[in-house]
Amino acid sequence: MKKMFFGVLFVLVLVPMLAACGGDASEEGEGESEQSITVNAKSEPPSLDPALATDTTSGWVLDHLYEGLYTENKEGEIIKGLAEEVEVSDDKTTYTVTIKEDANWSNGDPITAEDFEYSWKRVLKPETGSSFAFYMYYIKGAEAYNKGDGSVEDVGVTAVDEKTLKFELEKPTGFIEKLLAFWTYYPVNKSVVEENEDWAAEADNYVSNGPYSLDSWDHDSQLVVKKNGEYWNKEEVSMEKITWEMVNDANTYYQMYKSGELDMIDTLPTDVIAQEKGSEDFKITPYFGTYMYMFNVEKEPFTNPKVRKAFTMAIDRESITENISQGGEDPAYAFVPYGVDTPNGDFREQKEAYFEENYDEAKQLIEEAKQEEGWDEIPTVELMYNTSENHKKIAEGVQEMLKQNLGVEVTLNNQEWNTYLDTTKQGNYQMARMGWIGIYVDPTPILDYYLGDSPNNRTNWVSEEYDSLMAESKGIQDPAKRMEKLHEAEDILMEELPFMPVYHYSQNYLTSQDYKGIVYPVNAMPYLQWAEKK
Amino acid sequence: MYILKRFLTMIVTIWVITTLTFIIMHSIPGDPFASDADVLPEEVVENMREKYNLDQPLPVQYLLYLKNLATLDLGPSIESKTRDVNTLIADGFPASALLGIQALVIAIVFGLILGIVAALNHNGLLDYLSMGVAIIGISVPSFILAPLLIKYFAVDWGLLPVASWGSWEHTVLPSVALATAPLAIVARFMRSSMLEVMNQDYIKTADAKGVSTIGIVIKHGIRNALIPVISFIGPLVAFLLTGTFVIEKIFAIPGIGKYFVDSIFNRDFPVILGTTIFFSAILIVTLFIVDISYRLVDPRIKLSSKGE
Repeated sequence: MKKMFFGVLFVLVLVPMLAACGGDASEEGEGESEQSITVNAKSEPPSLDPALATDTTSGWVLDHLYEGLYTENKEGEIIKGLAEEVEVSDDKTTYTVTIKEDANWSNGDPITAEDFEYSWKRVLKPETGSSFAFYMYYIKGAEAYNKGDGSVEDVGVTAVDEKTLKFELEKPTGFIEKLLAFWTYYPVNKSVVEENEDWAAEADNYVSNGPYSLDSWDHDSQLVVKKNGEYWNKEEVSMEKITWEMVNDANTYYQMYKSGELDMIDTLPTDVIAQEKGSEDFKITPYFGTYMYMFNVEKEPFTNPKVRKAFTMAIDRESITENISQGGEDPAYAFVPYGVDTPNGDFREQKEAYFEENYDEAKQLIEEAKQEEGWDEIPTVELMYNTSENHKKIAEGVQEMLKQNLGVEVTLNNQEWNTYLDTTKQGNYQMARMGWIGIYVDPTPILDYYLGDSPNNRTNWVSEEYDSLMAESKGIQDPAKRMEKLHEAEDILMEELPFMPVYHYSQNYLTSQDYKGIVYPVNAMPYLQWAEKK
Repeated sequence: MYILKRFLTMIVTIWVITTLTFIIMHSIPGDPFASDADVLPEEVVENMREKYNLDQPLPVQYLLYLKNLATLDLGPSIESKTRDVNTLIADGFPASALLGIQALVIAIVFGLILGIVAALNHNGLLDYLSMGVAIIGISVPSFILAPLLIKYFAVDWGLLPVASWGSWEHTVLPSVALATAPLAIVARFMRSSMLEVMNQDYIKTADAKGVSTIGIVIKHGIRNALIPVISFIGPLVAFLLTGTFVIEKIFAIPGIGKYFVDSIFNRDFPVILGTTIFFSAILIVTLFIVDISYRLVDPRIKLSSKGE
């Protein structure tokens, strides 16, 4: 019996050692001289199926694997991608697109109009369960089909011939080109997808059409893409190979960067930002989103607009970004972040601030509100945030500022994210933290947040005027006029203040000096296809 | 007969665990689409709920789940849109298990040695030294130990990679970090059990008969002292094999440890159930093996369902 026990021990010791030695150590070191870069995705991309992806990690990889009818160039302008020619009808609702003759899938199949028709209808098909299907509601019949009220035949997308795609819009849509460059509109290879419904789960069956094709994918560990030899514009692609590691722990990926295992990292651990700020590798870019506190306008004291205004004016945003969040964020005095290019320059720069931080005036407003409502004191306010060290620090700062600058007592409360969403959705809060990032660079996805029927709008604030201005803006083709309408809408929002902006997000990076040509867009992770290793 | 009975008990246990988990899981607020419901029109969320049978009443969902479970199908994952729970576990378990086995070997081998050495030098310098090491091992949490290991072995001395997965070098630091706490516990168990055994009459008899100290320790001491240690190792095996959230996160290990925690935050119901069932199954099987190994170590223990 004793022998048997030691036998077991022997197996326990030896087997793992052998197994460990069997690991593929050969993977490292091959062809290091080639143009390759290793970056950090932080986590497994939840889906590499363009119809199902809803997050920035998946989006980052997809943007390198695919190209839509339109695409973004190095300067961040929207240009034609797979589209060779685009004809728009006079009423601006019918688009006839010719697909590039030499556009092929990574398996060599030509990209056809039928692929597009199939892909878009697949996104809309209710059984697909695509969360981002609503980004296609601009297409005629799309909304009805997706919501189960219409049929697929009525969706306004048809393949006229092999390379000609025709689609109709519900109404003229000024930013349709931006949408066409977005991943939900990417085509998938019809025959590949029809043959195997799990085509996007592993690297083996995966077919894409962009600068890269999927080379290997070790789930939860590493994903490698290599330059796609079938890509029509392959001459423009200088980076041959991109490796995404999936390292979630901030301290770990920082150490991996320091030891040279990663060439670029983002979102540094907060305690090293100050230390890295002077380094040549360090970079801060604005990110197209806004950090804010929502006010529940049906709960006292925020029923009174003057209280909302007073709160908004009483915090010191510069102090928050410089001393608390410390990530190089821009203090926010409006909702739409910097970065939207308009015929008259940056959307935000045309009107930077809707209010000033003026504590005396804020106190005055509080006094007026007390009189109007007959309050002796401002009712106690509970500020809610979702559990996170960073949100906590900011909430504590705001609590202190409101006490000092306004003399208002604020208590803090936090909940874990999913519970928090539930609570705020039911309106069980007075003041609550939220962040919002525009999925494409336009004021529309930002301002849509506070539409009366938006599922995001948890403030109970509804303005018909605001809603109708937003609806009008969507039909305007002329960019300058469209932006004007959007400014008008934002004016109303910032007058009524159902929320207070705190800062516009930023993104920080460390990038090895060995690389140049990496492009850092304001609403997505860096584009690596034009990067070069020295 | 005994085995069959045990097997049936296992099935019932799994069923009870599944049912309890199902009830508890659905009683926490929030649902898997809470974040999506923010952005999406109701109909789209409905489409997704339908896809995962979440539109059905809970009893129906429960029965559907049991039906699939009977065929060992743990269902789709909501968070990972392309991999189902079986695939998640199949992909992640080998990495977790490899680390777990290595950590287990380190913990048992060094734990036993430390414990034995300490017991034989009772109240001596080596005793204090081993127990000092053991106390540090128990009290330093792995999320402190792991970054320290990374700092020295990977960054400062450049001996091993910081993190990630692929070659045997990648497994060294996480295995050590994972092994420390159980190692310390095994050492303490072994020490006290060994002390007790070495005071027994039969040891004195052996000593009087002139058996060498090493002979006594190996032949009579260790074997008899092992029983309490084995009771501890049983659950330990289950915990180590199924991965740990902290170590896997810090070292970027593609294991299943993180799904135990993330699935709850994401309200990814099938993954919560799947990982719980998987863990329970492993735990129950190791407990069974522990019961059998008692008998291997001490033939006086009879395998019977009495007195359980």
